Amino acid sequence: MQAMNTSWFNLKQSVTEVTSLLCITLIISAFLGLVTFIGLQGIRYFIPSNVHLVTITYPDRDEQRYFQQETTDKETLLADINVRLVQQYSDNPAGKPTAQVTTIENVIEATTDRGERLYGTFDRLTSDTEEKLPIESLDNLLLTVNLLQSQLHDVQENQLMPIHRAIAILNERKVDRDVELYRSLKADFARWQAYVTEVNRRLSTFALVMVGADSQPIRIALDELDKLHFPNDLTFIDKIAVFFERISNFLLEPPKQAATSGGVFPAIFGTVLMVILMAVVVSPIGVIAAIYLYEYAPENKTTMLIRIGVSNMAAVPSVVYGVFGLGFFVYTLGGSIDQLIYAEKLPSPTFGAPGLLWASLTMGLLTLPVVIVATEEGLSRVPKGQRQGSYALGATKLETIFRVVLPMASPGILTGLILAVARAAGEVAPLILVGAVKFAPSLPVDTTFPFLHLERQFMHLGVFIYDGAFHSQIDANSASIMFASCMLLIFIVFALNITAIVFRSKLRERYERSLL
Amino acid sequence: MLKLFEREVIAVDELSLSQTGIDVRDLSVELNDKRVLNEINIRIPKHKITALIGQSGCGKTTLLSSFNRMNELNRRHKTTGEVWINERNIYNKRENLAALRSRVGMVFQRPNPFPMSIYENVCFGLKIKGETSRRVLDDAVENALEQAALWSEVRDRLFDSALTLSGGQQQRLMIARALALSPQILLLDEPTSALDPLTTLHIEELINQLKKNCTIVIVTHNMQQAARVSDYAAFLHQGELIEFADSDSLFTLPAKQQTEDYITGRYG
Repeated sequence: MQAMNTSWFNLKQSVTEVTSLLCITLIISAFLGLVTFIGLQGIRYFIPSNVHLVTITYPDRDEQRYFQQETTDKETLLADINVRLVQQYSDNPAGKPTAQVTTIENVIEATTDRGERLYGTFDRLTSDTEEKLPIESLDNLLLTVNLLQSQLHDVQENQLMPIHRAIAILNERKVDRDVELYRSLKADFARWQAYVTEVNRRLSTFALVMVGADSQPIRIALDELDKLHFPNDLTFIDKIAVFFERISNFLLEPPKQAATSGGVFPAIFGTVLMVILMAVVVSPIGVIAAIYLYEYAPENKTTMLIRIGVSNMAAVPSVVYGVFGLGFFVYTLGGSIDQLIYAEKLPSPTFGAPGLLWASLTMGLLTLPVVIVATEEGLSRVPKGQRQGSYALGATKLETIFRVVLPMASPGILTGLILAVARAAGEVAPLILVGAVKFAPSLPVDTTFPFLHLERQFMHLGVFIYDGAFHSQIDANSASIMFASCMLLIFIVFALNITAIVFRSKLRERYERSLL
Repeated sequence: MLKLFEREVIAVDELSLSQTGIDVRDLSVELNDKRVLNEINIRIPKHKITALIGQSGCGKTTLLSSFNRMNELNRRHKTTGEVWINERNIYNKRENLAALRSRVGMVFQRPNPFPMSIYENVCFGLKIKGETSRRVLDDAVENALEQAALWSEVRDRLFDSALTLSGGQQQRLMIARALALSPQILLLDEPTSALDPLTTLHIEELINQLKKNCTIVIVTHNMQQAARVSDYAAFLHQGELIEFADSDSLFTLPAKQQTEDYITGRYG
């Protein structure tokens, strides 16, 4: 009997152990799977890949040729294309074209300033004097182009602009058009204008001509050329260089070509700025509210209702906050501000439209319960003895709170704040309603007064990804920039959480040893 | 019983007002709707050590805390009666609690140093009072630590965290912290219950020296300790003051049967 009991107990214990182990394995593999998948997909955006020439020969019409850039080798690419073709022609197997993938050397991948990527083989370079130059003279030509561009810029800034201003002033004073001064200004203006036109004409003669996959020439003006690679001829070190160059471009450049190339700098900037503003708003309010609830509020029904309200606020779907922010902050509050202060600009709204300020306030409201609950938790961890000690030394309640309780509760407060920040960094739905856009023409911070433009719309990583996810159904390139942004977002959130954990353990070491 | 310290003893009934440190009149305290102290009348002699003894839950700590109104930290509390310190009833409505508590220091059962440096711990009370002069603070810290017999041990590490001190050192730091405010009255709530016998002895000696400058009230569960250190002793039972006398009489010839039962260990 005794032995049976023991074995039964052992069995139960091992079943529990195995089950919990299974659960943990499941959780860890789900987590690792997510991170790996996003990471692999995202990193593809940075890895320089080969360009293959795909030829599809149709039985009944001309063959189709195009360049395709893929990280996979050409066999896999061919297999992929064949699978697609088989599906496409499943009702007409006879008409199915045959595909062929070749990798040719000397393919040029040229990126323009607008973010366009063009592929082709080198044909020639042209300049103002020569019609056919070899690829080696590219550096020389680029130097000349840069020189011309700076000349042009110089003329525009230092010659045309002053004349233009002078003419404008004369116009304003209604000076007669036949005055000597006016005429000489006009003449100057025309002369410089002619010079600019001439330089522009010269600039446009500098070009790179490539032969596309379909044997048509592709002409790229050199002043529009951003980067030029030979993707199929890169050495390993070149590839690493390109990889890091792309990462830095991704982090530091604005998106181009409707977010299919370029970088996400404005989105990172907008996210960080919004989150900082939110933290500035939410931390004092949340901490003070928690102090009231924990230290001052009498234990009665009102307090209980407030507590229930706070925890329910945390459960409200975020899109509801978005709608609230739009209705209350943007239309009501912003509209009133416009009528009171910016009345002369109406009907075009200043604060009465979605913008950075309203987004920060909305997110602050959304994350307020997190901060309150975490702060209360932190306050409740402060031992009674600490408060007693402080009171016994003649400290008032306020002094006790500020000198003893709050420092000891700081790990809890910090945890709440970081959780709030991580949440706001990843939120999408409410932000779309109150100010985040898929493309903002300017950053919310610039050099004109008042430097921080709270009424401007801004870009946000989460919204950028959401937008990219729609594009990705039609465009592989935008899918990979989306994955890269996802990777970045995960990275930011992880980094924040790890900072919080490190910070918290440091503070705990300092303040909570007396708990033990 | 071995007599460790010399005492000059006045019988409790003969205490004049000027010899009284704390005069408690008809004090009743309710905490969380439960009556903890019932009509206590006691005159605690000035510049003497008075021990409060009794079972757990008999109201010793509550009585002690009512001398600096610490009971009011409890959300539901009700106090009636009067406690006179310095010819003033501290339960008047306009009493300045912060000032009261800086005159009536308190040390708790478990050392509760703030997570700051030793120096900051000692001058916490003074800084709260608004003292900012570095020299005054330095002097006060040194003085208080000297009085608490801790100076020689910590003089080289004043700016280390107070949490690095041992339990006995921490408790002496707590005494120093209270002494830095030069209190008239020092309330000790089982100050040695968490310490080893040698450290306990150390603190007892310290307490004996401190009575020159302050009135000391000590709550203890340890009969030997009470007999060793106190000049007077009060026995409480279920919120009532059963007996109050000088320690020699109370521990050798208790007037009440209950007191005798308790100190000889028949219950409690």
